[in-house]
Amino acid sequence: MDTKNRLKDDCLTSVNSAVLSSIFLCSVMSFSVMANIPDESPKELLQTVPAAAQVCLSCHGVNGEGLGVVGPRLAGLSSEYIAAQVSHFQTGFRQNPTMMAMAMTVQGDNIKVVSDFFAAKPVAEIKLQYRGDKVVIDDIGEKLAYQGDWQRDIPACTSCHGPSGIGAGQFPRLAGQEPTYLKNQLLAWQSGTRKGDVDNMMGSIAKKLTAAEIDALTQYFSAQK
Amino acid sequence: MKRYYFSAAGVLFSMSISAAELPDRQAQLPSVAKEANAQYLMPSPLSSIPKGEFGDKVRKGYQLFVNSQQMRDTYVGNELNCVNCHMNAGNKANASPLWGAYMAYPAYRKKNDKVNSFEERIQGCFTYSMNGKAPESGSEPLVAISAYSYWLVMSGLMNQFGITGPVPEMTDVELLKGGNREDFPLPETVTSKLDQKELTMLPGRGFPKLAKPELAYSVERGEAVYQAHCQTCHADDGQGYKMANVSALPPLWGPQSYNWGAGMHRVNTAANFIYENMPLGKSIQLTVQQAWDVAAFVNAHERPQDPRYKGNVAETQAKYHQHEGFYGKPSSINGPELLGANAYPIFPVSKQSKQ
Repeated sequence: MDTKNRLKDDCLTSVNSAVLSSIFLCSVMSFSVMANIPDESPKELLQTVPAAAQVCLSCHGVNGEGLGVVGPRLAGLSSEYIAAQVSHFQTGFRQNPTMMAMAMTVQGDNIKVVSDFFAAKPVAEIKLQYRGDKVVIDDIGEKLAYQGDWQRDIPACTSCHGPSGIGAGQFPRLAGQEPTYLKNQLLAWQSGTRKGDVDNMMGSIAKKLTAAEIDALTQYFSAQK
Repeated sequence: MKRYYFSAAGVLFSMSISAAELPDRQAQLPSVAKEANAQYLMPSPLSSIPKGEFGDKVRKGYQLFVNSQQMRDTYVGNELNCVNCHMNAGNKANASPLWGAYMAYPAYRKKNDKVNSFEERIQGCFTYSMNGKAPESGSEPLVAISAYSYWLVMSGLMNQFGITGPVPEMTDVELLKGGNREDFPLPETVTSKLDQKELTMLPGRGFPKLAKPELAYSVERGEAVYQAHCQTCHADDGQGYKMANVSALPPLWGPQSYNWGAGMHRVNTAANFIYENMPLGKSIQLTVQQAWDVAAFVNAHERPQDPRYKGNVAETQAKYHQHEGFYGKPSSINGPELLGANAYPIFPVSKQSKQ
């Protein structure tokens, strides 16, 4: 446990310095991650991580499992979605100081390498809920997820994100994602600091959500694990 | 307003579809232009469906509608769900709501003096849109979908006219007929305000009729529209995205989509639908021209065969396809071969059931 925490702290420090300084420091950081990980991970595991993906591990975990508030889960996302997000951070469609700096370190063919690597990581199987399984839904998050609110032209989340929000293609998995991350993303869509969706589809939905609904959706989808 | 009814009835009666073994149960009903400031029916929330046997049928209808894949291989032969085209579980105005359709049937045809009941119309959905097999007359799915449709329209009318109390129950036989008939039981408060013709043409029924495009629609331009606006959800090959074995985002052509007999294969119907309802939850994002072009692009691909096909595409085309569609014609997407010549099977056995 101590080693793990130390590793986490080291990485966080490194992340901060990278943000404050330059891309050069990012590569220093990724070096420090490489130097640290063998302490707790079997060598074989590390060898399966492509060099270009090393920079991601400190915040997203060796298996893309996510590290709480430090970084969201990447496992369960499609390769094409991850690749699009890397490019969105590079072009400013998405705003996050750390990720904007980190994304710049992944360029060209490496974007696909990194995306494929995390997309291939397994997620735990969950009990799936399909549309119509419940007719009357009391929880406002679950109700929006399966029925939407068409009085305000809000479609059911699961009509694009799939049963239980497991996602595919350009529609990210919501099931089991970090709650803080989910909430921040809905807020970012709402305020317009996150963009890059075709025809502003997600942005226009998020703008209609109330604060209570964002909390309820966060709660609902993060609990699907 | 009144003029619409007469011209609409004219279109309906002038249809000359043969009543061979398989009637055209997706015959084009008149679509009308959208009215500004229209007041749409507001059915009650699902939570007010009553307990008991009648309520159970209504609930079942809702469930079959949003998850039609539970009928895969029994009555459904593709990956579509009713809700893919009838948004908000068949409740959304201008997305062919069930409450509008229920009041339009039974529909009469002068040509053969035949009455098409609501039940028969739903059977048509299974045969064509779902590329499946029509459930037997009076069977559970037809009763359930009819009960759900009836409950939507009746609760909506009762809400509109301030009538309190539960939605009156009806027998299965009555439910299956539809609401366009003189002996259809309606509260007097409703019939004193709306006559039968008005009830068959409730605002928001069907897909609103789109203006003609400035230029003749083009598959090539449609492809560019598709790539820019549709591909994210329906994928570059038009096959949508499957999640947990469900095509959450539905296939638009190919073996898992609606067949050549479905209403949506007509370019005008698809253009009406797309313009009003796509992308999901946004509505009216494309220009009129773009909607026609992309409707042509989608429908210029091969799909499952027309169930009325008897071995000759040209004959089927001549008999059933005298409308805006690509069946029996070449397309720049499909190549010189006539569409329909390599159509996919009708009601195929799915991979899942083979295992």
